[in-house]
Order: sequence, then C-alpha cells, then structure tokens
Amino acid sequence: MAERKRTQVDDIDRSMYDFRYDDQDSEKLDAGLTPDIVREISERKDEPEWMLEHRLHSLEVYNSIEMSDWGPSIDGLDMDNIVTYVKPPTEQKSDWESVPDNIKDTFDRLGIPQAERSYLAGVGAQYDSELVYHSMQETAAKMGIVYSGIEEALHGEYADLIQEKFMTLIPPTDHKFAALHGAVWSGGSFVYVPKGVKLDYPLQSYFRLNAKGAGQFEHTLIIVEDDADLHFIEGCSAPKYNVANLHAGAVELFVGKRAHLRYSTIENWSKNMYNLNTKRCRCDEEGQIEWISGSFGSHVGYLYPMSILAGRKAQASFTGITFAGRGQNLDTGCKIVLGAPDTSASVETKGISKDGGIQTFRSSVVATPAAEGSRCTVSCQSLMLDNKSRSDTIPAMDIRCKNVDIGHEATIGRIGDDKIFYLMSRGVSEEDARTMIVNGFAEPISKELPLEYAVEMNNLIKLEMEGAIG
Amino acid sequence: MDTQAVVFERASAMPAPTWHFLKMNDTSIEVPENLAIDPRVSVSMPCSARGAEDEFEKALADAQEAWEDDHPELSDEERAELEAYRAAEADATYGGTAQSAYQMGADAIEESRSLAVAFEHGVGEEAAAYLRYAAGRRIVVKADVGKMIDAQVIVEAAPETLSVAAIDVVADADSTVNLSIVVDSPESSETSAEGAVSGVAGSTVRVFADDRSTVRITRVQTLDESFSDIDDMGLFANSGARIEVSQTVLGAQSANTGLATDLRGSGARLEIDTRYLGRNAQKRDFNYSVRHHGQKTESDLKANGVLADSCEKTLRGTIDLIRGAKGAQGSENEMVLLVDEGVRNKTVPVILCNEDDVAGNHGATIGHIRSEQLFYLASRGLSQQVAERMFSMAIIEQAAIDAVDDDSRASVIRFGERVEPGFAALFDEGA
Repeated sequence: MAERKRTQVDDIDRSMYDFRYDDQDSEKLDAGLTPDIVREISERKDEPEWMLEHRLHSLEVYNSIEMSDWGPSIDGLDMDNIVTYVKPPTEQKSDWESVPDNIKDTFDRLGIPQAERSYLAGVGAQYDSELVYHSMQETAAKMGIVYSGIEEALHGEYADLIQEKFMTLIPPTDHKFAALHGAVWSGGSFVYVPKGVKLDYPLQSYFRLNAKGAGQFEHTLIIVEDDADLHFIEGCSAPKYNVANLHAGAVELFVGKRAHLRYSTIENWSKNMYNLNTKRCRCDEEGQIEWISGSFGSHVGYLYPMSILAGRKAQASFTGITFAGRGQNLDTGCKIVLGAPDTSASVETKGISKDGGIQTFRSSVVATPAAEGSRCTVSCQSLMLDNKSRSDTIPAMDIRCKNVDIGHEATIGRIGDDKIFYLMSRGVSEEDARTMIVNGFAEPISKELPLEYAVEMNNLIKLEMEGAIG
Repeated sequence: MDTQAVVFERASAMPAPTWHFLKMNDTSIEVPENLAIDPRVSVSMPCSARGAEDEFEKALADAQEAWEDDHPELSDEERAELEAYRAAEADATYGGTAQSAYQMGADAIEESRSLAVAFEHGVGEEAAAYLRYAAGRRIVVKADVGKMIDAQVIVEAAPETLSVAAIDVVADADSTVNLSIVVDSPESSETSAEGAVSGVAGSTVRVFADDRSTVRITRVQTLDESFSDIDDMGLFANSGARIEVSQTVLGAQSANTGLATDLRGSGARLEIDTRYLGRNAQKRDFNYSVRHHGQKTESDLKANGVLADSCEKTLRGTIDLIRGAKGAQGSENEMVLLVDEGVRNKTVPVILCNEDDVAGNHGATIGHIRSEQLFYLASRGLSQQVAERMFSMAIIEQAAIDAVDDDSRASVIRFGERVEPGFAALFDEGA
C-alpha cells in the first residue's frame, strides 16, 4: 500500500532570528548565582538600598524553595552555567544613530526602527541585560505619558511609586523563578499613563538575548491610571545556541478604574531557551485587561498571564495561541481571579502540536466569596497534526461563591474528514481545504494582533499542506 | 482487630497534576484509630456465579497473552530506529524532550507492556490495598460465556467500625453482570461532634469485562453524617466490552469516590453517570481516570450535583487518549448547582492526548439557579429558598425513582426521610 501522506506543517522559519554577533565586547559577570553576584548587579546600577535588600531576600527565597514538579522538565537548565548579567558595550540611547552598529543592525533586521516609524508611539529595545535604546514620540510625552527604562525611573520622580508597586503582584515567594527574577532582574520598561489619557498608538518593547548561555531578567512595570487607555506590545527573540539560555522576566500591570490596557506578546525565543516568564495584572473597578499572546519559540515554556479582577465590574480577556514543534514542550495558559462583584472574564486559546512537540493548556479560574454576580467562560481547542506529538488540557476551577456563572469547554483532535469533505464538495481542492481549516483555526487569534504582528505570525506559522490526512 | 490511625496523603491523585496552590491534585483519606475491622456485608447472587479468589488475576493474565499476540514487540530494526530518533532528540535539544514527570511516567507504563502495571485503582494503589485488607475475604462474581448474572452487595456501616467489601467481577465473553452496591447506615446513629467520624464504610471493586460483555454497576450511598465513605473502582474492558457505572452519593460526612479504567480492547465503551448531593459541612471528592488504549474506544462521563450549606466538593476527571487509540472518543460533562454562599466547588476536567486521530471534549457549567428559572418559580409562588430546597431534594427523589432494586430504593427513601421528614410519604404506595 502506498504510504499515506499526512498533513504537513513546516517548522517555523527562524532564519531571520538566528543571526548573532560576537559578545566579546560585552561585560559579563561570572556564571552562577551568589550573594556577591547579586550585590555586584545592584552596585553597577547604583540602586537604592531597599532594592539591594529586596534582591538579597529574593536570593534567600530562591535557595529555599523547590522547583515545581508538575510541568516540563528543566533538567537541561543548570543555573551554575547561566550568566545572569551581560552588559552590552553601550549605554542607553534615545537616538538610533548612536547605538553601536552590530546592535543597531540586530534590531534593524528585526524591523524595530521601521515599526517605530510606521505605527508606534514609543519603542524600547533591550539587548541582553540592558536597555540600549528608548524613545517616545513627543506627542505622547506631552500627554504626560512616561515610557522609560525602569532603572532610570528608579532614580526619577516616580521612584516612590515604583518602590510601592515593585514585585507586589509577583512576590519572590510566588515560585522559584519569580525569586530568581527578584534577585538578578535587570533592564525592562516603566510606563505610566496619567488619569484620563488615551494613547492611540501602541508602545513596544523588544527584548533580544544575544549572549550564549545567558539569562535575561527584564522587569516591566506598567501603571494605567483611572480612565486611561494603553496598548503595549512586547516582542522577544534570540539566536539559537547549543547551550541553554534562560528568560525569567516579570511583567506587573496595574489598571485603574475604568481604564483599559491591551498587552500583546509574540514570543519567539530560540529552541534552546527556557522561558519561565511571569505576568500579572490587577484591575480596579470597571478596569479592563486584554491579553493577546502568541507562543512559538523556546525549548521549554511556562507562561500563564494572571488577571486579578479586584474591582467591581472589572473585566479580563485572554486570547492565546501556542505552536509546539519538534523539541519543544510549551506549557501555557492563564490564571483568572474573580475577586469582586460582577466581574467577568473570557478565555479563548488555540494550541497546535506537531512533529513530536508537546503543547499543554493549563488554566485556573478562582471565584472568591466576593465574586457575587461574576461570570467566566473558558474555551480551548487543540489541534494535533500528527501522532508523534502531544496535546494536554488541564483547566482548573475553584468556585467559592454561589451567584456566579462559570463555563468551560475544550475540544481536542485533528482536522475532521467531514470538514475536508464538505469543502471539497464545494470545489475546493483537498490541499487548499486543509490549509483553509488550519488558517481558520488560528484566525481568531491572529485577527486580534496588530496588523504587522498578524503578518509576522502568518510568516511564523507558514503552513505547507500536502497529501491526504493519514 | 482495631485499626491504627491511617492517612493516605496522596490518594485519588489525578494523573497529570497542576498547581499545588489550588490543592486539587489529590486528597487525603483518613481512617481513624480504634475502629473495629468488621465487614458487615451481605451478598445476594446465584451460587453458580461465585468465582475463585484469583479469578481476576487469571483473567488479566490470559488477556495479557492475547494482547501480546496482537501487539508484538518492536522488531530489532524498529527499535533501532526508535533509539536513533531518541538519541537525535536528546542531541538536538537541551534536556531531551523536556517531558514532565507525568508524561515520562505515562510513557513508562506503556513501555512496560504489562496490563497488570497499567491497571489502576481510582483511589490509588495504597488506599485500595488497605481496603482489600480490611475487607478480608473477597466477593468474586463470575459470569461464564454468554450468561447473565444479577448480584447485590449491601455494606452496612456501624459506629466505631470499619466495614468494607472487596468485590471482583469477571465477565466472560458475551456475558452480562448487573451489580448493585448499597452502602447504608440503617440504624439511625447520633451525629457525632463536628469533624469527628464515628465509622467508615466502603467498597473496592475490580472489574474484568471480556470481549463483548456488559457490566453494569449501580452504587448508592446513603450514610448518616457521622460516617465516611470510600468508593474505589478499577475497571478493565476488552474488545467490544461495555461498562456502565451509576454512582449516587447522598450521605456521609466525607465521601471519596475514585474510579480508574483501562479501555484496552478495540470498541470498548465506558459510561459513567454520577449524581451527588453535598450538605452541611460535608466533603465530596471524585477522581476519574479513563485511559483509552484500544481503537474506537469510547467514554462518556456525566456528573451532576447540588451543593448546599458549607460543603466542599472536588472533581478530577481525566480522559487519556493514548497513542494507538485511533478513532477513540472521550467526553466528560459536569453540571454543578451551587445553592448556598458557603459552598466551595473545585473542578478540573483534564484531557491528555498523544494520538491525533481521536476526539476529546469536556465541558463544565457551574453556577446558581438562573434568574429566569427563579422568576418562573416565583411566579408559581415558590420563594428562592423553597426553590433551592427543591433542587436539593430532587437529587434524592431521582435516586429513589431510579433505584435498581428494592433495597437501594428503601435506603434512599430512609435517607430522604432523615433529611426532610415526610419525604417517605411521596413513595407510599397509592400516594
């Protein structure tokens, strides 16, 4: 019998991300994790005393807690070999031309300056452990919006605000890699949107990890005051090496009353990356958080943006897609806390696994006793493109309140023969039918992305269909 | 002989754990000290259906041989190819394929090629072994080829007593077994101090359903609030076998239900219909694990319940669609009605899948009576409180209507009368 061909989906074309530059001019601290390394990072940044204490406390926590036992293995990650701080050979610039050529070329090739000119209100670019470029349009600055490096902001007029908020949503005790982040964090952005200010164009931070065997631990802190509106985009990539790299960033978002924040991420780390990132948002009364999340890269991923709906009628939505190919174990999803009356949340996710890749959707919905009148729907769909891969769905619901309405639905499977048959009966070729179905599967997510990112996502997936389903 | 205090810390664990902070991965089952091990079990079935003690083990061993014939080990060439693929994976990535502990564990079970290793108990091996020990002599129900057997087991709870039945069901090809289990505390006993358990009752059941056989198990539990209940099942279904399980959990301060199934043969089917009621400060814990090994196997889990007062309930339901189970379909659905502010409901419906030619789906709906339903009932003169009470009692009433025999109906009616005096009158003849 002739071999039946299966649905074929190409690996993501990573060639545009896999270039790299020599990091011999960068300053690196020793690999591993010790109090001396933590003190040195703090000293180099000329931080206030409270931050050094926070770092040392976090290190103690890191050493005292165990790694979780429920997720993908991180046995391939040896912290003794990870360099936690790599300073590129430049200070932060606000003028693109002043950035060193190789770094400038990196971001040019990733299309960052072009994006800034086309549709962004501000851009931050981090290279290894430090921000190398930060700028914002004058109009945004005149509206009172602050968009800067968080370390720079620690020495400015918002220092007290940062101290008040820093790692309160993600305490070091949250999990082992939150503690690690607290100890060695470096770089990242601070955004402050004053009351009533609505920014029509997005801000974007792009994180590039260039150094071999290094970790990136940027901290993003965004405060959107009452009645304000912001769209923030986060992109990340790294070249591929033959040793493990680590990303353990943290994102803390505070959304005020009636404010709105959309946080979009396209994560495209290389396949030697352990992406152990933590993101969390607190919404006050009638505040809204929208997460748009695409996870394509990394060898191992643990990523569950959390929405804490703390004010009455606060809302959250999470729209995510995860694509796991060969050698990848991506454990992604979200956490929702319905913590006040009449809150609402909706979760819609898609997962695709192929060529031995492992994709897990994991979620938790907790309705506290205060969540009277709240509702939440969770919908997740997984598509298996071959029988070497794995796709798991592990959603949890903890409901402690009577008057709530919680719904969950999930489906898992392959492309249905009936759908192919239907399309073919309408004159569509089998190959085109399959392509249409897979594109349609991802479409609810891609339509939520900014146009440029939707195009990037389509490039990333780059589907190539042939033969019959077998 | 009296019991020592025993706590099974990680009982009824779900195969794929999640965040520990949710406290949903497993439960602890406690047997207090100084209970007299005294199985108060009565059995009703034809003498011809009584099987030998090792009937289940023999049936599983025979199935192992047949399975090995149908599933030969990899040839040297295939094994070399597999090893080469794995070596390439380990080389090409960082830390191999980074499988989680449960993913590696699942692979190890498959690679053992042992039906005995793959056979699981819903409450976990340790707790099930303890129940078997406490039960003493095993009840073995054996249906020969093409026969139909009806069997009934009544487990009676008593204060200061651990009363457990261990039951093996072996259904030969084309046979049918209808098994009814009633777990009841007929003598009305005083409710003990809050949190204290005066006695433990339960059952542990193993089922071997051979080709094209049908096994129906109906379990009704109507214990007083001073007792706790442990309901353990481990099921095995061969080609074309059908297992139907109906569980009604009405009473007991603490009720632990665990069911694990190996749908091994092609076309095997499992249906689970669970109904439960939680009141006062009761605890309800359910753990279901359905492993689809065979092609075109099907499972359907339905759980419906009402939670009132300050009771807590957890349901872990796992459908595992294992590589090779082409054409398998797994479905689970839960509806929970929350009646009071103090209740706590935890649900984790899991689908694990490493075969593409399958369909798995799950759904859960958790909430209160809908406002339009309340409005309708109010327009008929029923207050919200009365309506909520009606929903709770409806679970008991339905259990009485659906009871498969007189004994289980009597125990449900007795239970209903304890919850709401006058309930029994609904079922008086001529009423």
